[in-house]
Amino acid sequence: MGSMFRSEEVALVQLFLPTAAAYTCVSQLGELGLVEFRDLNASVSAFQRRFVMDVRRCEELEKTFTFLQEEVWRAGLALSPPEGALPAPPPRDLLRIQEETDRLAQELRDVRGNQQTLRAQLHQLQLHEAVLGQGHCPPLVATDTDRSSERTPLLQDPRGPHQDLRVNFVAGAVEPHKAAALERLLWRACRGFLIASFRETEQPLQDPVTGEPATWMTFLISYWGEQIGQKILKITNCFHCHVFPFEEQEEARHAALQQLQQQSHELLEVLGETERFLSQVLGRVQRLLPPWQVQIHKMKAVYLALNQCSVSATHKCLIAEAWCAARDLPTLQQALQDSSSEAGVSAVVHRIPCRDMPPTLVRTNRFTASFQGIVDAYGVGRYQEVNPAPYTIVTFPFLFAVMFGDVGHGLLMFLFALAMVLAENRPAVKTAQNEIWRTFFGGRYLLLLMGLFSVYTGFIYNECFSRATVIFRSGWNVSAMVDQSGWSDEFLAQHPLLTLDPNVSGVFRGPYPFGIDPVWSLAVNHLSFLNSFKMKMSVILGVTHMAFGVVLGVFNHLHFRQPYRLLLETLPELVFLLGLFGYLVFLVFYKWLCYTSASAASAPSILIHFINMFLFSRSPTNRPLFTGQEMVQSALVVLALAMVPVLLLGTPLFLFRQHRRRSRKRPTGRQLDEDQTGLLDASNPSEAAWGSDEEKAGCPGPEEEAEFVPSEVVMHQAIHTIEFCLGCISNTASYLRLWALSLAHAQLSEVLWAMVMRTGLRMGNKIGVMAVVLVPIFAAFAVLTVAILLVMEGLSAFLHALRLHWVEFQNKFYSGTGYKLSPFSFAVEE
Amino acid sequence: MLEGAELYFNVDHGYLEGLVRGCKAGLLTERDYVNLVQCETLEDLKIHLQTTDYGNFLANQTNPLTVSKIDTEMRKKLCSEFEYFRNHSLEPLSTFFTYMTCSYMIDNVILLMNGALQKKSVKEILVKCHPLGRFTEMEAVNIAETPSDLFNAVLIETPLAPFFQDCMSENILDELNIELLRNKLYKSYLEAFYKFCKNHGDVTAEIMCPILEFEADRRAFIITLNSFGTELSKEERETLFPTCGKLHPEGLRLLAQAEDFEQMKRVAEHYGVYKPLFEAVGDGSGGKTLEDVFYEHEVQMNVLAFNRQFHYGVFYAYTKLKEQEMRNIVWIAECISQRHRTKINNYIPIL
Repeated sequence: MGSMFRSEEVALVQLFLPTAAAYTCVSQLGELGLVEFRDLNASVSAFQRRFVMDVRRCEELEKTFTFLQEEVWRAGLALSPPEGALPAPPPRDLLRIQEETDRLAQELRDVRGNQQTLRAQLHQLQLHEAVLGQGHCPPLVATDTDRSSERTPLLQDPRGPHQDLRVNFVAGAVEPHKAAALERLLWRACRGFLIASFRETEQPLQDPVTGEPATWMTFLISYWGEQIGQKILKITNCFHCHVFPFEEQEEARHAALQQLQQQSHELLEVLGETERFLSQVLGRVQRLLPPWQVQIHKMKAVYLALNQCSVSATHKCLIAEAWCAARDLPTLQQALQDSSSEAGVSAVVHRIPCRDMPPTLVRTNRFTASFQGIVDAYGVGRYQEVNPAPYTIVTFPFLFAVMFGDVGHGLLMFLFALAMVLAENRPAVKTAQNEIWRTFFGGRYLLLLMGLFSVYTGFIYNECFSRATVIFRSGWNVSAMVDQSGWSDEFLAQHPLLTLDPNVSGVFRGPYPFGIDPVWSLAVNHLSFLNSFKMKMSVILGVTHMAFGVVLGVFNHLHFRQPYRLLLETLPELVFLLGLFGYLVFLVFYKWLCYTSASAASAPSILIHFINMFLFSRSPTNRPLFTGQEMVQSALVVLALAMVPVLLLGTPLFLFRQHRRRSRKRPTGRQLDEDQTGLLDASNPSEAAWGSDEEKAGCPGPEEEAEFVPSEVVMHQAIHTIEFCLGCISNTASYLRLWALSLAHAQLSEVLWAMVMRTGLRMGNKIGVMAVVLVPIFAAFAVLTVAILLVMEGLSAFLHALRLHWVEFQNKFYSGTGYKLSPFSFAVEE
Repeated sequence: MLEGAELYFNVDHGYLEGLVRGCKAGLLTERDYVNLVQCETLEDLKIHLQTTDYGNFLANQTNPLTVSKIDTEMRKKLCSEFEYFRNHSLEPLSTFFTYMTCSYMIDNVILLMNGALQKKSVKEILVKCHPLGRFTEMEAVNIAETPSDLFNAVLIETPLAPFFQDCMSENILDELNIELLRNKLYKSYLEAFYKFCKNHGDVTAEIMCPILEFEADRRAFIITLNSFGTELSKEERETLFPTCGKLHPEGLRLLAQAEDFEQMKRVAEHYGVYKPLFEAVGDGSGGKTLEDVFYEHEVQMNVLAFNRQFHYGVFYAYTKLKEQEMRNIVWIAECISQRHRTKINNYIPIL
């Protein structure tokens, strides 16, 4: 848990990898996932790097893999993920895998090609069969009988004797969506010197390429004249029609048909044989492909990582730079030694200083991951900045529960989360692909705590599905009231509403032990009582939460060695926040403690007091809470306002002074620096070799620290001051959403109960009627409860809790400008 | 169309506009070109293109890689993008898209007819056709012998039909006639497109009209340039000029009379837009050709089209820019594959 407080120490290390062992070293690092490589060759374009050839070979292989994979999928088979640990193969294995893959791919291509041609032939045969068997009756007869009366004379006249007129046929098949266009084009191009009949095939044929069944249109065109025939052929060609010979005699057609059927039978058998062989090859692919894919993927990753290394001057080793958690350095050393021991020369790690901001690394477990996720969604923390996640673990579910407080709803949520937590190791749950489910599953521990806290606040609000529960005896005694006030029966009959007066002795016996007294759920002023309570509670929670945020800033300032900011920022901020709003909280508590029901009638209004505090005035009707109140208030306001200029100018002036002092000292300092760098250079000859690239990689050597620009500092601080001071007011108001949402939730569940359940319970008095009616009523109640109150309200409360953390809490101390350490790792992201 | 496209443009076309702007951001930058020019082989080119928005578009190509493969794949990619836009468009944007494809359709028809004339097989030519201008009846083009045949039989159902009104004739289609046909078709196409944009009004008209005007004038110049020393008569030449450009009517009349490049240049000098372009043209040995200068100007106009919002011009501009980019890549690839590196920098940068 200690590591959660701030991100871990991350060091920039230099790895000297002997050329012979570099590959094994990096692949081992990939298995461990410890380090994030920095690109030392940023200036070199992708295709000029050292291991480009190897990467390219891997890519070639992957291309073949894709081909194999697609073939397997097309056959409707699945590839199972590989089992067991598969390390990156040694480079010499690449050749073997490549050969085998190529052989397999070639085999598959051959078989597939055979199958394609066979299928195409079969398709052709079947189409021909369909054309012949369709029984396009010889159209001449039909036209003669049908149309002789109107058309024939017109056609015949210009063409002379009837005997010369020879009718020719073109028969074929075309895809159905082209049929209409073909028909129209034929008609237009040939001016009607033809008769075409189109018909759909009776049964769908298998498409040779995709293997899907599709119906085709067969057609039979009869035409007169040679030229038209040429045209028709051209047109049918351009529509990719299959044209078949068409015998004019019925008997010849039958003979052809029978021959075709026989041919296709034979072809089918051959095709079956081919397909059997194909499935054998595919089975082999299925077995071999997945491990290869993983291995080659790893290999490519290793080469890509190696491409980021630079070569030492002597070409004996590769130099890599990487970020690594300081805690993992011994592991890293050990791993490198182990994997380079074969090569004789061992790989070396050493830390090098760097002025870049290192990446942020916060280790999480499955419990803290979702909370860290909430923080990271806002922004990954700056390196070693205070991490709000550990506090979020408590405050987030709590603020959520304040809005969601209901024992019943909380319990349901808790049980749902508990079920997920208990089932988390089941593979079916883990591998579920549903995105919504994965979201819920990822936040199961968050949900668990949210449910638990909601049960707790539910008890405080004393609400379970909007009904009050009576666990302890109520603090109010009605019979005492009746006894003492002497209400007559008549009076009771006339007044449906009666007042319980706590000042009458015996009526109010003392506060309820835990939460809200259940008697309030019967009262008509239930809501105004709860409102006052919840509103004050929201302000108290809000001010505490924000003050806590400001205090967390202290740890940042201490850690980054900026003690002046304690005095010039944190202190004024705290005074401003606590002087104004802390005082408000104090007033609330003071009034709660010092005013009893006896003095309730004359109790002053805190609101008026608070307004008057800023106006430096007093209202005669509002009694002071305590003596000297005005003095204290004026002092507080003056103090708080006095903090604004301190906050605004303190840090810039301090920095400016510091800068002036430093620039006076500079000449001596610089000399010293130069001496040191000179020594460093001399002691490390290899540095010179990669020095130029290293600088481009974004790690400037010991240079002057960032230029001090007064206007920028002032601007930054001014923005911060305005944001903080205005933020204090608006953020405090923002916490009132706790009240608003909890009110909304309570009222919605109340309405649901009153409109659904209560109506249902009133419907029948007899047991039988009741039982029948209550089943659908309860079903409706349950569904609405889950859909509206749990899911919808839950989401909205979640959203508001999120906002309160991101905006109101984290902006007090968290900058979130870092970037995550993303180690080079083969592990699959979960 | 009502004024104030801002109010409702996004209802129908907002998604596509966003998409096309995103695509435009994926065009190759100056840096990419610098890297491309450094490539030693086409494989290097491929690796570099992989790091850009082209991604793995060449991944499934078998070796060896050739320029024409790259070109085909790039065209396919553009085509799939365009098809996506077109399939998701609503009226009147879809009409606009139809207009855009018409120019490619004209080119394809002419290409096929020329091929038929030279007795090449249809398949051979089909490969060369631009995929954006494909249509079903395209392959049947070679059955026609006269323009009216062509119109009546083949093209009557395509969007090209209305452009045919001016070119109906019973002439046999020979090479010259086909070229005339192309220019006449293009003329009516440009004029119709111009009219469409003008009628649409709003920002679309403000952006598209200048682009189309320029396109029309460019055609006029190119026609003039190409007709020097041919049997084309001056009257005929004038009928080929699209009349929707800035040159209309005075400039076109003068252009029709021009007899050599110098005279053409003198005509252009009357127009502020074209004067600097003609001045930028180098003479013979070095410098840019007129075509390049026109391309550069076109690129500039198309890039500027992206400065306005709520109009259809971005789609046109994007397609044209992408085409220019493809021409650039092909140019660079050709230079690499032919080891002819001296002119490799003659691509037209897209700003």
